[in-house]
Amino acid sequence: MQTTLDSQKKLLSKLQPLIALFVLCLVIGLLSDKFFTVSNFWNVLRQISVNICISTGMTLVVLMAGIDLSVGSVLALSGAVTAGLYKSGIEFPTQNLFVGFTLLGGILAGIVVGGLLGFFNGMAITRFKVPPFVATLAMLTVARGLTMLWTQGFPISGLGKDFAFFGTGWFLGVPVPVWISALVVGLAILLSNKTKIGRYIYAIGGNENAARLSGININRVKVIVYTLAGMLAAVGGLMVTSRLDSAQPNAGTGYELDSIAAVVIGGTSLSGGKGSIGGTVLGAIIIGVLNNGLVLLNVSPFWQQVVKGLVILIAVVIDKANTKNH
Amino acid sequence: MPHSEKKNNLTIKYLLGLGAVLFLGYHSVYFKKLDEVRSAANKKFDAAAYAQKFFTSTLTPQLANASGIQELIQLLTISKDEAFEKYAYATAVGSIKYFLVKGTGIITAINEDEISLQMGNQSLTLATEFIYGNAIRDVTGLFDITSFTNTADINNVSAELNKIVKNKVIPPFRAKAKVGDKVAFTGVMELNSARLNLDNIEVIPISIQ
Repeated sequence: MQTTLDSQKKLLSKLQPLIALFVLCLVIGLLSDKFFTVSNFWNVLRQISVNICISTGMTLVVLMAGIDLSVGSVLALSGAVTAGLYKSGIEFPTQNLFVGFTLLGGILAGIVVGGLLGFFNGMAITRFKVPPFVATLAMLTVARGLTMLWTQGFPISGLGKDFAFFGTGWFLGVPVPVWISALVVGLAILLSNKTKIGRYIYAIGGNENAARLSGININRVKVIVYTLAGMLAAVGGLMVTSRLDSAQPNAGTGYELDSIAAVVIGGTSLSGGKGSIGGTVLGAIIIGVLNNGLVLLNVSPFWQQVVKGLVILIAVVIDKANTKNH
Repeated sequence: MPHSEKKNNLTIKYLLGLGAVLFLGYHSVYFKKLDEVRSAANKKFDAAAYAQKFFTSTLTPQLANASGIQELIQLLTISKDEAFEKYAYATAVGSIKYFLVKGTGIITAINEDEISLQMGNQSLTLATEFIYGNAIRDVTGLFDITSFTNTADINNVSAELNKIVKNKVIPPFRAKAKVGDKVAFTGVMELNSARLNLDNIEVIPISIQ
């Protein structure tokens, strides 16, 4: 009898985000006739694609009991680097040489920059034992400053139709950003569930000392995961830049909070070792639907922030309660 | 697995990796002489020339089709939706729309940034200093945004059209204008359909006599 009750409690705990999403959709749908429309459906999916990419990386980090506060700034810098190189290339006046970047080149450069910043995060955390919160907070400022330096504080715009495809295009009747985020999620699920490094991530988050004693090279895994988180933030940067047809120096401000919210609401424990990419996707959808609903209901942007903050708080409280019960 | 086989597999992996890097690198960057690139860049879109041609060939002939501002305001108070539907244009999505209007009024005040007019019971201001935004570009609905490949060029056309009005249309008028003068103008009135305010009407002049 007790076992049945326990399994029912576990099932209910797993279904919490799904139930929350269902209730949220129902309430917004009742209050706004524009919510349950096809165009709004694609609009919401397009909007959450960026957060899904960032949150996927964040999930891997949080599963190791880490945190990455720099994703918003990394997104901005990567987007700016991609846009800047693609649009203007690099000039070497003394050699009378111009190095131009193709679309592929610009995108790869942005992703490499994101990966490098993530790598530095990982190195600071593992080699210099800086707490993840502090290391990534420092990177948040550094990357934002570098973005300002790279852009001189001005947007880089006029990137053309080919570039806009990644943020505004459609493929097989589905927005391109949705395809990109689906690909990212698919690969991340494979990584976390079917590979050695995926198991290591859960092991480190569950008990770092035990993982170390069992022979896992913890530092290596951490550096890889933070690098991946940086690269995924860069993919988000590509989508944002493409969608706006410009790289904004202040792009991605506050995105770290949205991604942490998606991770927590999706059931990933902030103390690590427990959670899933699928849950995070659900969390990101909840955040996206909440944002969309608040806009459709004409709620003031100031109140929107209050509501989002409260939702995160409630999700953490529920997470703590669940952890205590188990 | 024997040691030599392991070594061979590793070599193949490295070769494949190197091949991928070379492939991506080849398709990622290209090299040109800097002076060639710079001279090509100088031949790029000339927003000033485009704006001048648009002003003369597209915008000016349309001024004859401008709506009488007093009749339009009357229609706006009676049937806002009809007025916006029939007479307003805008390229961007949103509630801000532009009306091409004409009218005649008496100058009641000449201020630093604007000139006030009285037209019967209706008062309005002609903007003479802060000529910003896309009003002049978008008011006719004839500006073809799809013929541009980037937003910077589109915005530059607006900036150049605003410059034409600010530097060529307004100064000769302001130099002669006196309180009590009768003025005939054609210009752009910007209104927000979501928050319609007809109390403080401002017109950006395109032609003033």
